[in-house]
Amino acid sequence: MAHVPNPRPTGDFRVSYAADRTLFKTRNETYFVIAGVLLVALAPLFFGGYVLSQLILIGIYAIAALGLNVLTGMTGQISLGHGAFFGFGAFASAWIASRGIPVMFAIPLAGVMTMAVGMVFGIPAARLKGLYLAIATLASQYILEDFFARADWFTGGTYGSLAETASFFGYQLDSDASYLYLVLFWVIVSFVGVANLARTRDGRALVAVRDHYLSAEIMGINLTKYRILSFGISSFFAGIGGALYGHYLGFVSGEGFTILLSIEFLAMIIIGGLGSVSGSLLGAAFILLLPQAMEIFANAVATVVPAIAQGTAYIKQMSVGAAIILFLVLEPEGLVHRWRLMRASWKLYPFSH
Amino acid sequence: MTSLTRLTFATAFAAGTILSGTAFAQDDSVLVGQLADYTGATSFVGKQYGPGVSDAFKQINADGGIDGTMVELDTVDYAYKVPEAIAQFKKWVGNGMVALQGWGTADTEALISFVAREEIPTISASYSAHLTDPTGKNPTTKAPAPFNFFYGPSYSDACRAVVQWAAEDAKEKGIENPTFVHTGDNHPYPNAPKEACGAYAKELGFKVAPPVVVPLAPGDFKAQCLTIKDSGANYVFMGNLGGSVVSLIKSCNTVGVDAIYMGNPWAGDYQTVEAAEAQNLIFPSSTPFYGADVPGMELVRKIVENGDGQVGDRPTHHYIRGVCSAYYMKEAMEWAKANGGIEGKNIRDGMYQKTDWVPEGLEGVCSPSTWTTEDHRGLLKVTINSGSFKDGEAVIEKIAEIDVPRRDEWLGQ
Repeated sequence: MAHVPNPRPTGDFRVSYAADRTLFKTRNETYFVIAGVLLVALAPLFFGGYVLSQLILIGIYAIAALGLNVLTGMTGQISLGHGAFFGFGAFASAWIASRGIPVMFAIPLAGVMTMAVGMVFGIPAARLKGLYLAIATLASQYILEDFFARADWFTGGTYGSLAETASFFGYQLDSDASYLYLVLFWVIVSFVGVANLARTRDGRALVAVRDHYLSAEIMGINLTKYRILSFGISSFFAGIGGALYGHYLGFVSGEGFTILLSIEFLAMIIIGGLGSVSGSLLGAAFILLLPQAMEIFANAVATVVPAIAQGTAYIKQMSVGAAIILFLVLEPEGLVHRWRLMRASWKLYPFSH
Repeated sequence: MTSLTRLTFATAFAAGTILSGTAFAQDDSVLVGQLADYTGATSFVGKQYGPGVSDAFKQINADGGIDGTMVELDTVDYAYKVPEAIAQFKKWVGNGMVALQGWGTADTEALISFVAREEIPTISASYSAHLTDPTGKNPTTKAPAPFNFFYGPSYSDACRAVVQWAAEDAKEKGIENPTFVHTGDNHPYPNAPKEACGAYAKELGFKVAPPVVVPLAPGDFKAQCLTIKDSGANYVFMGNLGGSVVSLIKSCNTVGVDAIYMGNPWAGDYQTVEAAEAQNLIFPSSTPFYGADVPGMELVRKIVENGDGQVGDRPTHHYIRGVCSAYYMKEAMEWAKANGGIEGKNIRDGMYQKTDWVPEGLEGVCSPSTWTTEDHRGLLKVTINSGSFKDGEAVIEKIAEIDVPRRDEWLGQ
């Protein structure tokens, strides 16, 4: 994406390493992000349950998609088992909470448990690449799905398990408005965490593995270590996302965590932008909101053309598919790239680049 | 950059909600949620039962509603997915739902604690016996289900009834030590009667072979049929429904299994018999079939004619069970309206008011049922039918009527 001009204003020179390593590139960017967080934090004052529940789900899926983006976008490893890790996090947190540990601690613990499981399944990744790795991770999807259906002590078997309501020092987070803050907290922690990771030695090592594994190895990067580490980080965020999802719904059922969910996560990061931290959030929002936007669209069409009222469900499904295809054809580098182009064009206005 | 996008999405969706939120603002109406499966794994019968409920409420409203209060029925196709059902339930609770018409076992059992907490009486199309113990009187009950009801015999009781029939059938045919096998997916719905029914079969002198897992989605089941053949089963109980049952019977005929197939309340109807070209498919029922000569059939016919036409002009008995579910709820709501208002707890109490209860106008259609505060086994009478494919159409005859005993240790099992 080098052809998109740098958004830094004229005169903003970086004269020290510290200045060059700031989290946000410009002052305005910092303000925007803070304003965005504040806006979301104020959302419960203005919006009802529907918008809030959408914000919560976007946050939850964005955390999990961010994890996959570390693995796929940053390290260049494909995973078809991310949905199962998401599910493992949900079951793990419900299970930990059922042993009497407060949900607030159960969520990060579930992340750590999922990380451990992810690293075990990541071991083949140290030896495999490309399509072979895809199939190996497919196995992790099926093994975990079967585990969900059979491990009665852990998941409640095919019946699923109840996930306790989260509480914060005795205050029950049982409304969408209160749960939003919990999700927002984890979104900030995860996104700042991964944005920082990209600036560290380990983060650069992951990118090096993606860009050319042989060169990376020659430079002294331990491929096995970093590939497994990447699986671990990715599963950690899947686990956090899953745990938040489980406690949000209040019930965890193995049915929700199929290969379809794994593919949806892949779609999120491809549409959002591979390797981009903010792209994960954009992609999650896009994939989640598209079907609903299409439903509104199809219903609107049906009121104009009543003849198709029976077929709105089909129209909705087909337009979701069509929108995704169009997206991949017209904007293969993701939403985040489109955003950068837009920003560059108004920065340079009236001189297009 | 995230801020702007979020803001845009938030505004877009605020606008969207206003557009799509078709106001439920009728002056005097109550919201009833209906979970239906029209596109999921159980849609074969979901497309029959669901319209039964919605057409019945349409008729109820046309006849003046609940003493003047209209029922705002919100039917949602949740495609048999538990997380969807739970998300939908929460949405409805936010909109002030007073009662729920549920569907499958997985979601109904998942919702037990939710409907109890929110006090939303639920009439489900899941007949899982786990829903029948409202107080946890039976020590083996995992979770009491104080707000769950259903019309008809539970899966366990229906299975016990067909096993009882099978025992007599085996005696008549002189089969000594007959073998019974349960087939079905590893899923809450087919699993519901597995242990209870196997235990009763053993009690009646059957040899019970290990259960065979047959997926709920149709497919090629020859491998499973070979296992059934090896087990020497004489009576095969099918916990699945629709396409899966059809596939199983066809695959097993190819493999050469010589057994009698017995279904749960959803596994048998004229469509299944025709599709499978089955001979002597045994299945339980709790209503007469469409067109039967009973006084209440007139109302059912009217409901079909005034309905949305989703089931054509020959609905199966699953549709009629849906009608019964709707009318029991309607009369419970009427009692609630006269005794404190149409709201969760009152509707539930309305379910306890009558014994041998038949909704008005459905005489001969819905069997007399009784729900009590300690026992939600409304109906224990099971009609056993045999369906055979003859000359291009299904011929179904009633072969037995069995009263399953009301044993205490079977409550919730």
